[in-house]
This record gives sequence, structure tokens and C-alpha cells, in this order.
Amino acid sequence: MKKSLVTLALAAGLATPVFAIDLGKILDGSSGIDLNKVVKAVESAATSLQSTSPEQEEIIGKRVMADLLGAAPLVKNPELQRYVNQVGRWVALQSEKPNLPWRFGVTDDAHVNSFAAPGGYILITRGLYDRLKSEAELAAVLGHEITHVVRGHHIRAMKASARGDFLANVAQIAAEKRGREEAQYAANAFSGGTEIFVRGLDKDDEYEADVHGMVLAARAGYNPFALPSVLTTIGNINPKDNAVSLMFSTHPSPQDRLDRIEASVGDKLDRYANGIDNTATFARLHK
Amino acid sequence: MMPKSLLIILLCASSLALADPGSVTRATDLKDKPFLDAPTVTRLAAGSRVEVQTRKGAWAQVSTRDGKSGWLKILNLRSATGSSGSGLGGVNQLLSVAKTGSSGNTVTTGVKGLSAEQIKNARPNPQEVQRMKSYSASSEEAQRFARSNRLETRSVKDIGLASTESQSNRGSD
Repeated sequence: MKKSLVTLALAAGLATPVFAIDLGKILDGSSGIDLNKVVKAVESAATSLQSTSPEQEEIIGKRVMADLLGAAPLVKNPELQRYVNQVGRWVALQSEKPNLPWRFGVTDDAHVNSFAAPGGYILITRGLYDRLKSEAELAAVLGHEITHVVRGHHIRAMKASARGDFLANVAQIAAEKRGREEAQYAANAFSGGTEIFVRGLDKDDEYEADVHGMVLAARAGYNPFALPSVLTTIGNINPKDNAVSLMFSTHPSPQDRLDRIEASVGDKLDRYANGIDNTATFARLHK
Repeated sequence: MMPKSLLIILLCASSLALADPGSVTRATDLKDKPFLDAPTVTRLAAGSRVEVQTRKGAWAQVSTRDGKSGWLKILNLRSATGSSGSGLGGVNQLLSVAKTGSSGNTVTTGVKGLSAEQIKNARPNPQEVQRMKSYSASSEEAQRFARSNRLETRSVKDIGLASTESQSNRGSD
């Protein structure tokens, strides 16, 4: 048992350079190996290496959403909320995780932005929704966020910023709820989760979400060139406008994103450009 | 002043407002129709400013400042603040304020990251998460929705990210 732990530690050490330094410290100078330290090191390496379970992702996502919806609640328009869920679910069905319990919402927030959280939670602000010109644009924005969820971009960012505390955070959220009837979280925002939305994700994750968002929109039968269209709309908003300050501080510029789309997509999606742009429902619900 | 002429001015103004300002990333042929083999109307230099009238598939119909009109690929299009470089920032800013009209007042209030603060200081609202859940659509509902809107799935291969080096050959920057 202990021997296999050491083997595991060595294997992990070889796989991750950061961990190799820790292991070096453990082995260095002492007459033998301190097994307690090895066990601890294995635990923390395992924390960062192991994939997060769907249950853990749901716990985190729900907590993060409680904060985001605390900052701005849903727009009080059930018909609009259902419509966005239908479009979103249809796009999500084309992803690698069609069976997540996907939930979408439009928040009563004039800022231009959209958010995703682990477990399949996605929000788009009224500020962005109102600027959309077609259902295909909505589908593309949701496709961008769906990609963040499916590829685990937030989980990775949270693990990187929380260092070894990631699982402790999950346990803490779970404990907050325990013993209370309707989930009553601590009164403060869960900083381990919300800081991602203030600091932003890895730039490449944003570019990947743009390109894959177009792919998902195309798979769902929409015109994928709706995404570049949204980015030009956003690019035409004055960067000093308060409406885009958070989005611009957490995302690469629309310009850079369009450059990356042009370089990556080229003419690969031209044959899907005949997809649907608009539906009667969008026109009816979009003021 | 004649009311009729006023009306015409208003109509023109509103159709202008529908057009999005844009710029082209690279020297591009402006096409007569949204096809690669359509006749070329004119050649646009990198950074040329255009007004986007409409979009169709992978193409955008634009008008140039010297009154020409035609089609170019959407992926060659950027926002107006784009490839003309940061030197024109001031001009574009003015344009943007003019475009947003009265809401232009909020432009230079200097309140940055307001929303970031809102998020950091949020009091969690778990009831609202429950409400969000109540609007969710099942796969079956999504499929019904797609059928009624004639959305058909297509098999599309995933596309990897192009490396950074290959993207930075833009003209003026």
C-alpha cells in the first residue's frame, strides 16, 4: 500500500514539473523518505490532477450562480427565459456533454456580458441580449459559453488560483448548506468562484470558445458567422463605456478575437453559412 | 421648413443608424454579389472604413465612403475602431459617442469595473437559481423547438485554434 503510494508519487512527479520540485525537497537531505510528507504531496497532486466529479461541478456552479444572480436577478419575463433555454439546450445538445442539466437565463443587467459556471449554468445579460440581431447570434453567444462549460475552463482557472485549496472550497460550500433547509449560503460571495468572473479566463480559452462556439452553432443548424457579427457589434461600443468595462477587462479585445477566428476558421465553415439566421420567435420577443 | 423634407431627413437618418460602421482587415476585393467568382466592384485597401448594410451567410454587404456598394467576406471585417490602429482612437471615440446619442453621456463617467464590484459584493440569491432551473428546457423540448423552426443538425468537424504566429500579418499595425 505505502509502496504503491510512493510509486504513484514518483509517477505524478514525472508528469508534473511543479510537483517534481516538491518531491525533490522531500527526498533531499533526509536519511529516508518521510512517508507522511509523501502522502500529503500525493494528495495535493491528486487534487490538481484528478478530474472534478459532476457532483462537485454542480455544487460549485450553483454557488457561483447564486452570487451572480445576487448581483443581478433574472429578467422577469418567463416567456423570454423559456425561449433562451430552448435555443441554449438545442445548441448544448450538439456539444460533447448533451446530458448536463443545462440551465440558461437572461439577467436584468445593462452591462454587455455573458457568464458560464460549471455544471451547465449560463447567463447572458439584458445589455448583450438587447444588442443581438438574430437568433443565430444568440445561439453563437450561448455556444461560446457552452464551450467554456464543456471544456472545463472555469474549473481549471479555479484550481489554478485556489492552488491546493480547491477541494477545501468545494467542501466548504457543501458545509455551508448542510443542516439548513433551503440552501442558505454564507452572506458573502464565494470569492474562490466569483474572482474568475472579475479576473477572466485564460485568453486561449476565450479564443477556443469563440471558434468552438461557431462550430456548435453550425451543428445546430444556425449560420455560424453570427458570432463574428456579435463581436463587431461589441467592438463598435466605446471601450470607455461602462457597459463593456467588465467584459473588456476579462476578455481579449473583439479585434484580437476576430483575428483569431479569421486565422482558425478561414473558409472551413463557409458551407454552413446557409444556416438559419432568424426565427419569428426571436423577432417577436426581441424588442 | 417643409414637413415632407424633414420626414425624408428623418427616414435617411434612421436607415443610416441601422448600418454598422466597420473596417476591412486586409486589401480586399469588393464583390458585386456574395460569391468569390462574382465581378469585382473595386479593390479596398487594408483599413478602409465601410458601413455594413446587411449580412448574408458568410458575406456582408457594405458601402464605402466614396459611395460604392458591394459584398465582402465577414471574416475580413472588423469593427470601426479596428485595423486602422490606435492612432484613430480619438476619432472613433467621437463617432461612437455621436452614434449612441443621449446615452453618450455615460461614456466618460469613468466608473470602471462597477459590475466587478457588484459581483464581488453580491449577496448570494439561491432562490433565483431555483427560478432559473424552473425555466430549463428538456432535450425533447429543445428538439421540438428545433423542428418547429426548421433547424436541422449538421455534422461539422471541430476546428482547432490557429497558432498565434500565423494570425499577426495584418497590414497597418
